[in-house]
Amino acid sequence: MTESNRAQHSDAVTTAWQFTEQVPHGRDLGMQVVSVNGNQVCMRLTPQPWMFAEEDTKEICTSVLYSLADSAGGLAVFAGALELMPIATLDLRMDYLRPAIGDRALLAVATCRHLTDEVAFIHCDILSESDSALLATANATFMRNTQGQRFQAGGRKKEGA
Amino acid sequence: MSTTGDSAQPISGPTESGKECSDWQALLERIPYARHLGLEVQRDDVGLVVHMPCREALIGNFMLPALHGGVLGALIELTARVAAQSQDTDKRCPRILDSHINYLRSAQARSTFASAEIVRQGRRSSLVRVTCWQGDKRKPIASGQVQLLLPTMAAKEADLHEQ
Repeated sequence: MTESNRAQHSDAVTTAWQFTEQVPHGRDLGMQVVSVNGNQVCMRLTPQPWMFAEEDTKEICTSVLYSLADSAGGLAVFAGALELMPIATLDLRMDYLRPAIGDRALLAVATCRHLTDEVAFIHCDILSESDSALLATANATFMRNTQGQRFQAGGRKKEGA
Repeated sequence: MSTTGDSAQPISGPTESGKECSDWQALLERIPYARHLGLEVQRDDVGLVVHMPCREALIGNFMLPALHGGVLGALIELTARVAAQSQDTDKRCPRILDSHINYLRSAQARSTFASAEIVRQGRRSSLVRVTCWQGDKRKPIASGQVQLLLPTMAAKEADLHEQ
């Protein structure tokens, strides 16, 4: 994976980027952060046969796209806010436009559309890497500054992802 | 599982309910990703329940720790799919069109359960509402609505022409 522009970012985005790549579920699915540009995040996932929705078709289970959108959306909150804080997904709506075929990598492009003190509104597109076909779209709302574990002195703790 | 229109029907006997349980399990086991998540069907006093045992790969925040939101998304979508498919007389395999999930409480790193309610089972589509909980069923941690499309002969022929 590319280390492209990780070094150019604020501490908050760099920490959130590292955190995203350490999330056990993200590691299990093999999610990688490709880039963070302004309020936009790009993540990538290479499908595996165990992610399929059926034995005989090579279609990837929609829930894998859902997880990718949730992770990319969470990171996009930090890209938009430039500040570390605990966050939590309030709701997420996915529309599955086309089946995702298992031999093509998935890209998630998540954008922080609007930010208030309490809430972040995120849009995410899931694309097929090879032909840029739009496979799914997501709209999510994240709560910011959720109660619970706060960042500790080292500045490494956050909630939700 | 409960079907909204069928609530007046008597609860089926143990043999029949056992069959329904194994039918659901068989449908789940055909889904590689459901096997990866370790989903299993159980029966509680109300109906069928899909159980997702906790393990490290499902964690979304290792500080708390808490389950990943996408893992709950998967539990809800796959429960909806199996509920819709088992309800279909031809056992057609549905395609998930969209899902909308609300997160109600934090999801701890522990066993999670999901139950489905068919809002409407049509000829071409099915709308399923799924509720997830952990320790206390009266305190749901997430609820979702999933819209599914059931394949028809016409759609299959159109697919063949496309390819």
